[in-house]
Amino acid sequence: MRSKSIAIAIACLVGSTAFAQEFTAKQLQGFYDKVAPAVCIVSYSSNVTNPSSGEVSKRNTRALGLIVSAKGLVMAHGHMQIQDSDPFAIKITVGQGDNEVEYDGKLLTKPEDVNVCFIEIANNSNVTFPFVQFAPGPLHLGDPIALIGLMGDTLDFNRSVVVRRIGSVLDKPRTTYCLDERLLFGYVGSPVMDLAGHIIGVIGFDLSTQEGGDLYVRSGHPLVYQSDLFAKYIANPPGENDPKVVNDGAFLGVFSQPLTDDLAEYWKLPQEGGIVVSTVMPDSPASAAGIQPGDVIVNFNDTPLKLKLDREVANFTKLVRDAGVGKQVPVKILRAGQPVDTSVTLVERPKSARDAGEFEDKTFGLTVREITTDLRVLLNLAPDVEGVIVRRVKSGSWAQLGEMQPGVIIMNFGGQPVKSLDDFKAAVAKIEAEKPAEFTVFGRAGARTGFFRLQPRWNSSN
Amino acid sequence: MKRIAILAASCLVLTGCATVGASSDASVLRAKNKVAPALVHIRPVKVVFSGGERREEAVVGSGFIISNDGYVVTNEHVAGESTLVRCVLYDKSEFDAEVVGVDKYTDVAVLKLKSDRKDFPKVALSTSKNLEAGQTVLALGSPQGLARSVSMGIISVTDRYLGGRDESVAPYNNWIQTDAAINPGNSGGPLVNLKGQVVGINARRLGGADNVGFAIPIDIAKQVVDQLIEKGQVTRSNIGVTFQETMSKTDDPKQQGVVIADVDPLSTGAEAGLTPGDIMLSVDNVVTNARFEEDLPAVRKLIADLPVETSVTIKVQRGSEEKEIAVKTQALSDLRGKEVDIADWGFTVSELTPAIVRRAQLASSKGVLISGVQLGSVAGNAGLQQGDIALKLDEKEIDNLDAFANAIKDHIAAKTKLVLLQVKRGALTRFVVVKQGEPVAPQAAAEQGNGDNGNEK
Repeated sequence: MRSKSIAIAIACLVGSTAFAQEFTAKQLQGFYDKVAPAVCIVSYSSNVTNPSSGEVSKRNTRALGLIVSAKGLVMAHGHMQIQDSDPFAIKITVGQGDNEVEYDGKLLTKPEDVNVCFIEIANNSNVTFPFVQFAPGPLHLGDPIALIGLMGDTLDFNRSVVVRRIGSVLDKPRTTYCLDERLLFGYVGSPVMDLAGHIIGVIGFDLSTQEGGDLYVRSGHPLVYQSDLFAKYIANPPGENDPKVVNDGAFLGVFSQPLTDDLAEYWKLPQEGGIVVSTVMPDSPASAAGIQPGDVIVNFNDTPLKLKLDREVANFTKLVRDAGVGKQVPVKILRAGQPVDTSVTLVERPKSARDAGEFEDKTFGLTVREITTDLRVLLNLAPDVEGVIVRRVKSGSWAQLGEMQPGVIIMNFGGQPVKSLDDFKAAVAKIEAEKPAEFTVFGRAGARTGFFRLQPRWNSSN
Repeated sequence: MKRIAILAASCLVLTGCATVGASSDASVLRAKNKVAPALVHIRPVKVVFSGGERREEAVVGSGFIISNDGYVVTNEHVAGESTLVRCVLYDKSEFDAEVVGVDKYTDVAVLKLKSDRKDFPKVALSTSKNLEAGQTVLALGSPQGLARSVSMGIISVTDRYLGGRDESVAPYNNWIQTDAAINPGNSGGPLVNLKGQVVGINARRLGGADNVGFAIPIDIAKQVVDQLIEKGQVTRSNIGVTFQETMSKTDDPKQQGVVIADVDPLSTGAEAGLTPGDIMLSVDNVVTNARFEEDLPAVRKLIADLPVETSVTIKVQRGSEEKEIAVKTQALSDLRGKEVDIADWGFTVSELTPAIVRRAQLASSKGVLISGVQLGSVAGNAGLQQGDIALKLDEKEIDNLDAFANAIKDHIAAKTKLVLLQVKRGALTRFVVVKQGEPVAPQAAAEQGNGDNGNEK
């Protein structure tokens, strides 16, 4: 890593004439004139769910949008569609001052591999919008870049140009350009112009989760998302933001850590890296293949694994995802130092909490979710814990009066065992039909089980 | 409407004050004078484990002398885990005290003043059985460290249930709630009736509220104090069952018994086949009714007071059937496990309690809890984290805290270069290599780092 930086620095010295260049005022004015009209304001409301309490609050947000097609496709930063936030009433304001026009916007499905989202302007009168055209262009350490962002509310969201430099170039998990300074919120999603005058990308913050994004979440460093990451979505915009068929690739069913030199030395293995299996999920392809904690995977699907660092584990995850559902994959393992050749048949990745089915019962005020594999891991639930998990308890509802809380796992509802969302729906329907004066919910809060008594007043308007 | 109500309320209060005021001065003074000579200002040096190290911390609390030879009652949270306890009496004479015994479940501790004197002033203990809300009480102690302070109020409620379903908060008693001012430092001090008799031990207060303080009823404390003086500890029985009031299932007042809400899978209750949802009707023919949550501590205490390692007959209602189930009691483990620090590696480690085992969903109670890790220490650099549960050391199961601590000390003495731990972190397990080496001076480390990079190039 460091040697690479040195190499880049040398390259910069050689090309020192280019490095010394700055944007001219004329260039920046040109950038503003050409690109500012394509910068718009995305306003939306969202239901934000507090993940611990399940309370939902409404919030109004404004963000920068960038029009990327003449028909009115708008690109904004991926923060708009994060977990626990559900945007609605989306408005796109195009133009400035007296020329401002507000349109309705429709959110499209968020891409998995880049942290941006797309909004379609309801373009009923076939307006041709000013839009940005991207060009691929590599950046180098020290390169200046120009951005156009939105100033704040009190400055009427006027567009503003700023100049930054590339402060660091990361080579993993993919080439990533980091800026040298922080930016105000109004610059998130801004178009990025290079010295040659090409719009080569937009400003972003986190990598996508598929790229191991959470490693970078806390850095707070603005990044440049190069246009080749999202060009395909501009050419073929994703569909409407409907519940989608999940296809996150293939699943092996292990949690792993890299074979560091210390671990290799301890186990007297060659210090060549690898993937140490630390946890094997029950009922997974890995457990079916007899893979055990402590096994070191040195070759997966004919790809040698030379991983030694925590952040490199994402590469292994990607390798598994891309290997193909249903495919039998050869795996070379070191078990207690001895090589073992085996194979695993990968399955479809289990549904994640993000895509878990949810059901809101209007009678008792409970919104519950299926317990997905990732929730099971997150909450440390034993495999025998079955039920649905309470996500929200409506304020003033029978469930709240019964002291039910988000996070409770419902295992029995009014005498009906609950193992799935369908069981829960059926149990609710049965109670609604029978209208008992009181009934009991059996569930699990934290590590312990217990009972809740619900006493609906059937004649009231609740 | 609202305004009238407020006016009416303030009138009542004023009238009330006037009546009490007229008659109380003499009785308050009399009561205070009876108890005050036996009041103790306690300054323990406590052992605190935090941030991966063991530290000592001077604190202040209160207590009262219960015998002429100098036994003192206070709170466990005042005097427990202390290396030194200094006591200042009402006449300002000072004595060191030894800790005779502590009980974390009721938050009661007994000290003995280190002195041969047989004429210490002592308090009279009353009973907490016949208390009434509205009765005037005094709280004596050292609020915010201010010794020999007296405050006055009334009993607000005689049987406040604190705890919800978290049984670690005083599972065996309800509390006397009082509006007599209780502040940090009052802990362990006496709550006194107007006869100058102790009815409770002031122990906690509701933060963010005005004058909502709580005292341990003296009847609960007396039984604990007797056992502590006699045996140095309190022994209790356990069957691994969590109870809930019958109101949690039905408001039918005819419903007898107490609801079994949870059964610890590693307990004798689970072994015997007790199941959540069973209604426990009796234990060895003693009826166990708990319609409201305030009734739960008595049921728990009934179980706790059973002799350890004996078989009892529990009658349960399961559906429409009644069943008798024989359950063996086992000793209740301590509320908090023993904790030690491994200073050379910069971490602290404690025993697993059943509650930790349960929360971590462990299959057995083998292992130890990493209770704290210092940043920049050997353990911290290895990636060990607070909350990790170490299951294996050098690929062998960890039996208990002592075995683990001794094995680590051996490694430290032998300067073993690499030590492997297998830890459970949430639902996942992970390997952690602890690397012991000669400490490297920062300057040397920097040079070494440059050298490495040079080689790489």
